[in-house]
Amino acid sequence: MAALPTTADVVATNLKRRGFDMAGTVLSTVLLLTLLASLGILVTLLVDVFTGGIGVLADRGWSFVTDPLSPTPAKAGVLQGIMGSIALTAIVVLVAFPVGVGAAAYLEEYARDTRFTRFVTANIRNLAGVPSIVYGLLGLAVFVKLAGSLTGGRTIIAGGLTLAVLVLPIMIITASEALRAVPDELRQASMGVGATKWETIRHQVLPVALPAILTGTVLTIARAFGESAPLLLAGAVLSSFFTSADGVSLFERLADEKYTALPIIVFNWARQPQEEFRALTAAAIVVLLVLLLAINAAAIVLRDRFERT
Amino acid sequence: MKRPTLAGAFVALALVAAACGGDGDGGADGESIEISGSSTVEPITALVAEDFSAANSGVAVSVEGPGTGDGFARFCNGETDISDASRPIKDSEAADCADNGVSYVELHVATDGIAVITSAANTAVACLDFNDMYALVGPEAEGFDNWNDADALGAELGASNAPYPAAPLVITAPGEESGTYDTFVELVIEDIAGDRGQEEATRVDYEASGNDNVIVQGISGNDTSLGWVGYAFFAENTDVLKAIEVDGGAGCVAPSEASIASFEYPLSRPLYIYVNTDKAAEKPVLADFVDFYLSEAGLASVAEAGYVDLPAADIESTKSAWSSR
Repeated sequence: MAALPTTADVVATNLKRRGFDMAGTVLSTVLLLTLLASLGILVTLLVDVFTGGIGVLADRGWSFVTDPLSPTPAKAGVLQGIMGSIALTAIVVLVAFPVGVGAAAYLEEYARDTRFTRFVTANIRNLAGVPSIVYGLLGLAVFVKLAGSLTGGRTIIAGGLTLAVLVLPIMIITASEALRAVPDELRQASMGVGATKWETIRHQVLPVALPAILTGTVLTIARAFGESAPLLLAGAVLSSFFTSADGVSLFERLADEKYTALPIIVFNWARQPQEEFRALTAAAIVVLLVLLLAINAAAIVLRDRFERT
Repeated sequence: MKRPTLAGAFVALALVAAACGGDGDGGADGESIEISGSSTVEPITALVAEDFSAANSGVAVSVEGPGTGDGFARFCNGETDISDASRPIKDSEAADCADNGVSYVELHVATDGIAVITSAANTAVACLDFNDMYALVGPEAEGFDNWNDADALGAELGASNAPYPAAPLVITAPGEESGTYDTFVELVIEDIAGDRGQEEATRVDYEASGNDNVIVQGISGNDTSLGWVGYAFFAENTDVLKAIEVDGGAGCVAPSEASIASFEYPLSRPLYIYVNTDKAAEKPVLADFVDFYLSEAGLASVAEAGYVDLPAADIESTKSAWSSR
């Protein structure tokens, strides 16, 4: 029977080995290439979009951002899309954040580990992978038709609720993971000095988990901001032109029948025949990216505030 | 510094939302015009709507372009006031309208031609007749990867341009959901397919896209490509596309504004708007809108959107159809 090499033997062999670590170098090169490939795709996309859109943005300046939609390329702007997208995002945050964090807190802190809770958790993970168009159909059936008397039909409220449902699974998963990452000692210490379960969650667990939850919220907002397919079903206007009635306040206008969102405008302009709309499409994508960056930056600043304290 | 709480975080996150929330009911009902339907007609109607609301601020107008079929579905459900259409209403759709008590008037507002297109670099093919097109893109053409694969079928049909060049046949064209597809099948394929007991459709193995820019790219990207597209899209892209002349039995005709308006070009089709007459009676603003659409200023949008104006006589008959609604 051959003796197995002892640890000391292995270490000694490895230390004595000289020369070039072929496998290691190849591996690190391959890994670097994968990184460069994905960066390359991103940079190509950004360069393509910016070179396509910069002409329009330079010519039109702020008017591109403050003008409404128009079938005439020289007059078309994205104001209605920006307002729609911001309002949709706000509804998503208002609905998905409390519901998502609440569901996650229940699953992680209160629910017993039964077959049922495992079933629920597995299904939430599955729901996160359901194509967004399916949520669009759900939104059409539930928020536009069934609850039409509450949402007003094809309104931004129905669209926002659809997107909120769409991102809810992601919200729950990230919040659950954030809560799970909070060390158990914290809970035990808090309970040990006589705090109730609620006080423990409220004053110890949630504040610690909050930065990670907010990171999840950022991802959620980004997802909702870029969606177009479910909104098309849930009633966003795919149009080169629409107006609202005069004399209605901003609030009423947002809750009015007609709304659109930036990704929808991008889609609509991309299918127009005129060459000018291709540049407008690129410019609208630039606006979308800038807004997305701004929203993400705001959320990151917010997260850092909570992390420091 | 005050210790941030969960409530604080929530309030901060919801700050934007608070500014934008607020419930409201569905807008000003009497003062709104809802238009949906053909994406081909949408640019005309959108231009008209823009001019109309410049003169009538306070009226909420929306113009959508999901497609003629989708448009009629909503129109006959009473959801829209006007439906844009790139073909006349089908019997089944008219029956839907009748079931829901929606009465309407059909107004011919412009003319569109379907251009049969290939790459600007293609010099081998100049003209095709309906039999040629059936041999190349009809239901029996399935699996033809080269133009000359259709030689036998073309000869059998008596197509005037068979045999065809020995070159790859790459077809890019609108998909089944498009009005342009319907019109192409109706004008080119239907009769021949009916005679031969075949399905009234094109072959299914082609690159189908609802996005005309994708079609333009697919056609221009291959020297021996074949496809069809609305004339406006062709006219926007004459630098990379070449229109194949079409022989409808009276010789080869190239698509042009003149040959389309006179229907001399065999693949031209009328464009319509359908107006809900009950709503036009209820809402003066809707009747005003249609009046404006049919005025000289309104119909100027036809050419602006890249379509072919109606001859004066047709404009008159459209106007009398509207006034006698």
